[in-house]
This record gives sequence, C-alpha cells and structure tokens, in this order.
Amino acid sequence: MSENIACSHCHLEFNPSVMIHEGEHYFCCNGCQGVFHLLNEEGLNSFYEKAGNVTLNPPTQQYEDSSNFNSPAFYERFVKINKDGFSEVALIIEGIHCSACVWLNEKALHKMDGVIEANINFTNNKAVIAWADDIVKLSNIIDMIRAIGYNAYPYDASLQEAHANKERKEYYLRMAVAIFASMNIMWIAVAQYAGYFSGITQDIKTILNIAEGILATPVLFYSGWIFYRGAYYGIRNRTINMDTLVATGSSLTYLYSIYITLAQRGEAYFDSVSMIITFVLVGKFLEVLSKKSAADTLDVITKHIPSEVNIVKDSRIVACKLNDVCVGDIVVVATGERVLLDGEIIKGSGSFDESNLTGESDPIYKQLGDSVISGTTSIDADVHFRATKDFQHSTLSNLVALLESAINKKPKIQLMANKLSEYFSSVILSFAFLTFLFWYLSAHDFETSFMVAISVIIIACPCALALATPVATLVGLSLGASRGILFKEAAHLETMAKIDTLVLDKTGTITIGKPKVYQEHIYSEFDKRILYSLVKSSNHPVACGIAEYILQESKDDDSILFDTFKQIPACGIEATLKEKKILGGNLKLMKQNSIYIDFVSDNTLFYYAIDEKVVAIYELSDKMKEGAKEIVARLSSKGITTIMLTGDNEHTAKKVALAVGIENFLYEQTPQEKSDFITKLHEEGKRVVMVGDGVNDILALSCADIGIAMGNGSDVAVEVGDVVLLNDSLKSLEDAFKISQTTYTLIKQNIYISLFYNALTIPLAMSGFVIPLVAAISMSVSSLLVVGNSMRIRLQWNKK
Amino acid sequence: MDNWVIAMMLGASIFLGAVALFAFLWAIKNGQFDDEEKFLNAAKFDGQDELNDAINQERKKKELKRNYKPE
Repeated sequence: MSENIACSHCHLEFNPSVMIHEGEHYFCCNGCQGVFHLLNEEGLNSFYEKAGNVTLNPPTQQYEDSSNFNSPAFYERFVKINKDGFSEVALIIEGIHCSACVWLNEKALHKMDGVIEANINFTNNKAVIAWADDIVKLSNIIDMIRAIGYNAYPYDASLQEAHANKERKEYYLRMAVAIFASMNIMWIAVAQYAGYFSGITQDIKTILNIAEGILATPVLFYSGWIFYRGAYYGIRNRTINMDTLVATGSSLTYLYSIYITLAQRGEAYFDSVSMIITFVLVGKFLEVLSKKSAADTLDVITKHIPSEVNIVKDSRIVACKLNDVCVGDIVVVATGERVLLDGEIIKGSGSFDESNLTGESDPIYKQLGDSVISGTTSIDADVHFRATKDFQHSTLSNLVALLESAINKKPKIQLMANKLSEYFSSVILSFAFLTFLFWYLSAHDFETSFMVAISVIIIACPCALALATPVATLVGLSLGASRGILFKEAAHLETMAKIDTLVLDKTGTITIGKPKVYQEHIYSEFDKRILYSLVKSSNHPVACGIAEYILQESKDDDSILFDTFKQIPACGIEATLKEKKILGGNLKLMKQNSIYIDFVSDNTLFYYAIDEKVVAIYELSDKMKEGAKEIVARLSSKGITTIMLTGDNEHTAKKVALAVGIENFLYEQTPQEKSDFITKLHEEGKRVVMVGDGVNDILALSCADIGIAMGNGSDVAVEVGDVVLLNDSLKSLEDAFKISQTTYTLIKQNIYISLFYNALTIPLAMSGFVIPLVAAISMSVSSLLVVGNSMRIRLQWNKK
Repeated sequence: MDNWVIAMMLGASIFLGAVALFAFLWAIKNGQFDDEEKFLNAAKFDGQDELNDAINQERKKKELKRNYKPE
C-alpha cells in the first residue's frame, strides 16, 4: 500500500491508485481537476498559496440549471437596481472555508466583464454583487461561482435581518457620538464640581458651560433623536411612554442650562442632559441587540424546498419546475429523495420516513396504489407516482402557509418594564408640574420654581429603570449561552418565567428518537464485521442503530464486499458471501426463508441468520433521555403542568408517558392538531411552552408562547424555535426554566431598586434640597446598583 | 489671559477629539467594521496585485457608468 496523496485542489487525501494523475498534480475527481485548470487559466493560482493546507469540498455536485436565475420572476424578487443604475443581488455563498475562499470568489468575479462589485462578508458568507445587466446575466455570475467550486443562492436583503442590521448600525453611530460627548463633558464637569466647593470665577464657569453646551448639543439632537421620535409616536397614539419623559426632561434641562449660561449665574445641567441620553440609549441598544425576525425564518423554510422534480414525459425522465407539475403527471422519487407532491404510487415500492408529518418513528412501507404525501422522505423506495394535487395545494405548501400565519400571530406577553414605564412617566411629569405650581404660587420667583421642577425630572430620569431589564436579561442570555441554551430574544426570558404549561413532543424530545440496541442475544459465534457491513449498507433506522452499536463495541469500520446483495423492502437485507447465505431483518424475512424462531419481546427485533440458522437477535428500542422522569417530576412540583403530544400510536405513547410520569398525553396527533391543541390552551388562559424537534412540531412551536427546539432537530425547527437547546438534553430544558426564573426575579429586584431610589430622592427634589452634585452622584449610584445586582445571577449559579 | 488659555485648550482638544470621532463614524458608515474576520485577514492579502485589481475594478466601473443607460 502506498501512502495517500492530497488532491491538488481540495487537499483531501486519497490513495494515488484511484486518483487522476497529471504531471506533478493529482486530482481526486474531474471536478477538482476542472477547477484547478480554470484557476490557472484565469491567473488565480495564488489561491492555493493563500489557502495553505485547508481542505475544500470537491465540486462534484450537480446543480439545477442556472437559467432559472434569469427569469423575470426571480429578478423581480431578488434583483435590485442600485443608485448608479446597476443591477444588484444579495447571495449566500456556500463552501467558504477560509479567507482565501473569499479572496478567490471576489477576484474571479472581478475578472468577469460587466461585474462592477463583488463584496463577500467572511463572517456570514453573504455577498453583494453588482453588475451591468446588458453585459453579463446573473446566470453567468452564478455559473462562475459554481465553476470554481462553490455554490450560491439568493436571499432577500430587504428582509428584516438586513433591516435589523441597519438599525443596529444606526445605534452604533448614535452611541459613539453620545459616549464621546459624555466622556468629555464629564471631565469638564469635574472642574465645575471642584469649583462649586472651592470657588470659581463666573468667567471660567461660563467658558466651561459653553464647552459643555457645545458637546451636549449633538447628544441631545443626534443621539437623542430616537427619543423625540418615540415620544412623537407615543403622543400620536395618545400614550405617555418612557421616551416622552426622557425627551421632555432632557430638552427642558437643556433649554434651562442655555438660559443659565447666557445669564451668567446659577448652575448649568448640561452633564445631566448627556448622561441621561447616553444611559437610556445604551439600555435601548441592548434591547435592539437581541431581536429575531419572523420573516427570515420563513426564508429558511422555503430554501429547504428544491425547485425541481423529475417527471416522466414521453417515456423519458426530465426535470420539471415544481410549480409546473400538473395533476396527473408522473413523478419519479429515488432513494433518499424528498417527496414534494402528493400522489398515488403506480410503480415500485419501498419505505418512507413520515416522521416529518406524523412523528411516527418507524418507516412506513408503501406499494402500488398507496398514497404518498409531500414532505415525507423516501428511505429505500424507488417509485413512480401520479400527482393527485399540484404543488400549490399540496400538503407541504399547506404546511408552509399555516406556518406563515402562525408565526405572524405569535402571542406577546406585555413586558413588566414597558407596562411600568407608562405609569411612571406620567406620574413624574405631573409631579414636576405640581412642584412648579406649588413653588411659584408660594411666592418664589419663576426661575427658582422652574429649577426645582427640573431637578425633579432630572433626578427621576429613568437611567436605572432603563437599564433594569436589559442588563439583567443580557446576563441571563450569556449564562444560557454558556450552557448551550440559546434564547433568541431577550424578551423570551421574561415570557418563559411566566409559563404554567409545558407541552412535550415524544420522539426526539423525551426519547432519543432513534432505535438503540437494548439487548444482544448471541446464539453462536460469528464475524461481527460481516454483520456490520450488512447493516451499514442500509439507511433504515434499525440498521443504523445496529451499525452504531457494533461500531461502539469494536471500533473497527472495515467493510467487506458481498458477492450478492439485495434489499428486500419492509423485510431486511439478503446477501451472499463465499457461498454462505446471510440474512438480516425482521421476523417476516425469517419466515419467508422458512426459519422459525420463538422469541417474544415488546421491542423491535432484528434477526441475523447465516445459512438459515439464527445466530443473533438484537432487541432495539427508542430509549428515554437521561433523567427524563426526575426532571418532569421537578418541573411539575414547581406548578408547571406537563402534557405530552405525539404522532405515534396509543401503545407507544402510553408506555413512554407512564415511564416518564406524565398523566396527560395525546397520541396520533397531526401537526395541525398539535398546534390547535396549543391554541386551545391559550384560549383557556394558559401560557404554554412547546418543546419539539421535528418538522411535524414546527406549527406548534411557532404558535406557542415559547417554542423550544432541540439543537439536533431539523433545521427548520431550530429556526422556528425561540429557544434552542444545543445539547438536546432535558437537563438543559430545566436549566432554561431556572435561568429564566432567576432572571425574572432579578428584573423585578432591579425595578424595585430604581423605584426605591426615586421614592427617596423625588421628595427631596420637590422640596428643593437637591444640588447638582447630589443629582449626578445619585443617578450614577442607582445605575451601578442595578448593574451590580444583575451580575449576581452568575454568582448565584456558581454557588449551586 | 487665563480665561483665553482655558478656552483655547478646551476648544483645541474638543476639535481634535471631534476629528477622531468623525473618522470613526465614517468608518462605521462605510462598513469597515461589518466583517471582523475579513478586516483582520486583509493584512495577509495586501500587495501589488490587490492594488492593481482595485484600480482595474474602479476603472471598469467608471467606463461602464459612462456607457450604461438603464432603461
């Protein structure tokens, strides 16, 4: 055996005997060879130097025809005209591994005539490409990307994600200005306060005031613009919100300080203006930072649906656009492919995985005349079926449409801080007004009364209140993330703390979701490698379970080539090796080969026979996840009702529910029924968490108050879920509850701290005892208290 | 005299700070911080070829802009 050699393009290592040899170069496949020559011709071969030893994906995939990208419908949806009049599209490039890949894609596109700009973001693999449409077409650009071994698909950049990024950027800009100005104002304020105690001439004071005023102006009108905007919308909707308070408070203080500066007496409060704006802006930014959008979720779902299917036309198999398939067309589904249309089998037979739709973990065997449902996947079936519905009316597109409406109708529990700030703002504003009236009427001059009223607003200004929720949730979010629990939005923490009903899916949530070998009965010695090679060639879940079990035991994954090999649908596998007949499968297969065996078990059984003699029996069952029973018991002791929903039959459902200790369970639930059930719970006034992992759960996940997805579940479920448990364990489900409850307690504490501070200082301010120094210090102290209190979440967790 | 010195120093330092701030704002707006990885890797790929490529790209854009008339 000679040593393996790395392919000159993709750097994957292979035995030289199977590689394409060309001069000093070796290639693993034609695809790599093609790309290598293309790069050399285009003068881009410095790519290999830049990429170093990074291994790439060999470009062997076949893609659908790129002329799709030139269709008017596609252009209308994805292609924009930019301000220079060029066409522009946003793409996601697949297969980018390193910065050299980014370099290669950009340079290759730059070399094309008519491409004006190609800018690829390495962090998220998104590209913006601008081109002159009369010189090249989008399909040429896509072809180029594919030719150099990558793939690209479009995404709609006008979606909310792009919108959110823009909003975030706007906040960065405003915060940069606010922080810069506030820091400068602070050091000027040090001089002011020192002068307040040790004496300062009015001239110097005016100079400092003017400097502060200049710095405070952009903070109020640029950074603080957000609050003016918020206050304006609030007034239009006839509500007084936090923005109203911040906007009026800071503008009044600003105007008053300008008057003081010009009149050259008294104390100016420019430092308070910029501090308030900066603090509240940071609080707001923290909220904006953690928001997810529904629209992007849908985009991911539709991306998973291929746009073409194979149909039989004039006794030839041709590719056809999904939307062009008519009722009555004959659709071809090969092994491992997804069924995209509903229909009736007219040729062939095999097993289908329907767990996407039903949650049933066992594959279902279908033959001539049976109906196939869109959204299911063929495991070993190679069939032709006649479409009974077009794509618009198929089960799959119904599911997508339902999901769309469910995501838009997601319930939102009003958050505590928002509710509170409404009352708070109106109370403070009326207090300030009353203070002014009282002072003015009790024979003080206008200036004094106005100053006292303003000090009420300044001291009450909700810096601490604005930080109370965001800081606590941020600490909660990072605590969750470090434990593999991703809360997609900060608000979910608060919502989850108010939950009273927990709905669990069975397969993949309570149980592992795949059959595992539970017990092995060996009747006579045999070569395990043969059995391993036999089961490895099938992707039936039972076979996979056994393959995994043997691999765990022997750690030897050499395969043996059989002389003959045949998969028998719904039965098992039949093979011959050196004149020996090898059978592996279920009881039906044994009976067909007239092997009779007496073995009774509740579990799924796999028989392995050599020369018509059973040598081993494997018992398989879907195992419960670790600690399932204890965790369910602990959660229900906290007053959370637990309900199990499953698409499986009554027998299996009952067995699992009993084992875990769940009293309420529903079986044979379709995705629609699951989500209806959750809507019903909502109508009863319950707040529901749904935990699931499969495509059959996504409707329910999206209509629950909080949908929790298992990280190993389908991509779509992970996308739809509000919380993702990365390590799939029920322990982290419990942790998620704990984190959300701890965070919620802290939010409440923070709000009490800031309200207590206000209750203490507002009467002082109303009676005119507050000097500027006290106002500034107390404002910072209360904010620090709130931030420090939030950090306690970590301490509490470390103690446990 | 004292007052004048303080005013001037305040003015000068705020002005210098503001220049830096505007440079920073320009960089944010320009998207220079959008992609932290590329930003850091750019140093690796800096060379004559890159400059030539950038100039070519700009020239191409200018030429096309002159001739290009979107309907």
